[in-house]
Amino acid sequence: MSTAARTPRLEDQEGGPLATVAQRDAEGWVTARAPRAREIAQRIVGFPFLLRAHWDLIATSVKRELEVRFQGTVLGWLWPLFHPMFMFAVYYLIFSQLLDMKIPDLPEGQESAMAVFMFVGIVVWAAIAETLNRGTNAIVENGNLIKKLAFPSEILPLNITVVGLVTMLFALAVFILACWITPVWRAPGVGLLWIPVLVLVQGVFTYGLALMLSTLQVFLRDTLQVVAIGTTVWMFLTPIFWAPQVINSDSLDSMMPLIQTNPVYHLVQAWRGTLMGDLYVVPNEYIAGGFLVSSADVAWHIGVFALWAIAAYVIGFAFFVLSQRRFADEV
Amino acid sequence: MQHEYALEAEGLGKAYRMYGSPMKRILEGVTWGRYKGHGEFWALKGVDFKLRPGASFGLCGANGAGKSTLLKILSGTTAPTVGRYRANGRVASLLELGAGFHMDFTGRANIVMNGTMMGLTRREVEAKMDSIIEFAELGDYIDEPVRTYSSGMGLRLGFAVAVAVDPEVMIIDEVFAVGDMYFQKKCVDKIYEFKKHNKTILFCSHSLYDVRQLCDEAIWLNQGECMAIGESVMVTNEYSAFQRHHIGEEDVTNDIPMSPLAEGGARELPHVVDARIYRMGTDEECYQITTGDSIEIRIWWKNPTPAETPIHVGIGFMRQDMTTCGGAGTNLSGHDLVGEQGCLVLRVPNVQLLSGQFLIPVILLDGGGVHKYQEYLMPENLVVRTNTRDVGLFRIESSWDDVDLAPPESREEVPQEAEAESGA
Repeated sequence: MSTAARTPRLEDQEGGPLATVAQRDAEGWVTARAPRAREIAQRIVGFPFLLRAHWDLIATSVKRELEVRFQGTVLGWLWPLFHPMFMFAVYYLIFSQLLDMKIPDLPEGQESAMAVFMFVGIVVWAAIAETLNRGTNAIVENGNLIKKLAFPSEILPLNITVVGLVTMLFALAVFILACWITPVWRAPGVGLLWIPVLVLVQGVFTYGLALMLSTLQVFLRDTLQVVAIGTTVWMFLTPIFWAPQVINSDSLDSMMPLIQTNPVYHLVQAWRGTLMGDLYVVPNEYIAGGFLVSSADVAWHIGVFALWAIAAYVIGFAFFVLSQRRFADEV
Repeated sequence: MQHEYALEAEGLGKAYRMYGSPMKRILEGVTWGRYKGHGEFWALKGVDFKLRPGASFGLCGANGAGKSTLLKILSGTTAPTVGRYRANGRVASLLELGAGFHMDFTGRANIVMNGTMMGLTRREVEAKMDSIIEFAELGDYIDEPVRTYSSGMGLRLGFAVAVAVDPEVMIIDEVFAVGDMYFQKKCVDKIYEFKKHNKTILFCSHSLYDVRQLCDEAIWLNQGECMAIGESVMVTNEYSAFQRHHIGEEDVTNDIPMSPLAEGGARELPHVVDARIYRMGTDEECYQITTGDSIEIRIWWKNPTPAETPIHVGIGFMRQDMTTCGGAGTNLSGHDLVGEQGCLVLRVPNVQLLSGQFLIPVILLDGGGVHKYQEYLMPENLVVRTNTRDVGLFRIESSWDDVDLAPPESREEVPQEAEAESGA
């Protein structure tokens, strides 16, 4: 932490907030050299300090971002709820009703398990996919700002990440409310305490990826197209609409390690464990059996995902910091 | 971190990378820079300067001379390629008025957003809100979306937010040239106020007037290189001399526009060769006079094609805040300039200007007195000293007397304008 405390804080404004595009030495000279490993590490570790120093800017930008999205629309704040609802309705119809991917032998009172299972997955995935798709353009889209104003541009992907999380939390809050007042699903209890942790790790993970992708997009405009395809493929590879345990038991043993290498698998399972509690499936000839969702596994899933999140954050941030001084020339 | 200088630069240079195609960029990326896929364009090639607190520094040069690149580096939006610089204190830049305004939001919301982006906290912005709105003169419009604003209102709002940052070093790219006279005057007043508070100002303009009026020092950039640096009067004159010399070449700038009649491109336009101030009737050059002295201004001019391009000469006396205090013009007096060249003399006996510094622009006009061929600036400003205790810009011929008269009936209706304008 001692290195973090020495991180040049932007609120000092000593010589302006230009530390983000160029490197300043101890005597205050700003030079052309690339950031050193130590400086990159300082930026990565010192990000919370930047957050604190620029809290007003971030809060204002996020507010603006949210207002822009819903201002002037008839449904306004209902949109973040409607969007996953419609997606859910379509996919539920296709997967559960047409393709008959139902979970048989559901316990008493949990008949809607598959629907809730899918809904939670969709809401969480929608937040990630939206952040990645919009975050990829975060720098390029704000080229004029980058060229004309000196401010820490790492805030731009952050805004989009936070907006994604806020809309997701809104949809989930409506879900939790529905559980309390309707019999759709048993209301989640003390497990809700996991939510701040889940939001944090999900934020760190998507922010790291958004930093990486937005940087790539500056130098290679094809990135956006690749991300659009990539997120769709990734969605189907992740157990959002399907449960791994529903796969034929012979292949499950070989599939499970593969599925577990997907960080988002751990994230959605952690969210499901938090919001749905335990969901046990009686094994039969089609189903491998075991817990489809388990509140006891939440901590483990979060732990695995947190490692991914830290890796994504560190790599993404380092990549961003190394390229940041070239942004204004390229956008 | 206290340094002697507010801003210093050593060998600042900037190269932009030019990639022929995105493939070259990928190749360069995957070979970790071993394959060089880009060409370099040096927009700025090694610029040095040192500015003390309170200095005002002007940048002049043609389009593409590297002025904006230099300002961008110093304001921290882009990194230099070579060299280094150091700023002492907060730097605020005004590279574009209203950069980051969101059209669908109200002026008030935009003030908060833009202010926080320029490094103020929300609380600071709220505290300055009233003064910003007052400076921008938006009145009730402040709660309307910015898209409903006229361009002038947008400019005022942008400038108002930027100056509210109250930096130690203020960087201004040619932003207020677009506003009307009233707005420009407002900006200039604000800049003077900054100067008074010992803040450092960097200012870029195509108008040599502005550079001379606002700046003590100046730099002239040409194709990224520093051609001259020093006192603004000297630098601007060197720059305009260079422009005259390059008439007809591609890089002729706005000071001497290409003649619309030019056919081959390389032809000489009417221009002022030189202009100086002398003590009347002598050959003694003189730029420091006392009120009541007599001077003459000699203008050597050239007009290679008098038949096609008849010319007139105008001379102004301008105070540094852009107030024109007086002037004369051959078109106004009906004096024709005949021949291809000559020396024109304007005799000013008994100068009644009171103490102050005056810029003397010599303006070369076309036959109709409308189109400006050239604005020539004297090598030095005219400095006037006053021995008497007169106030104002001019000495008014006047005398006092006591008489015995009763006040008139309608005394109440006499408008009272006792406010005397204080002199420079």
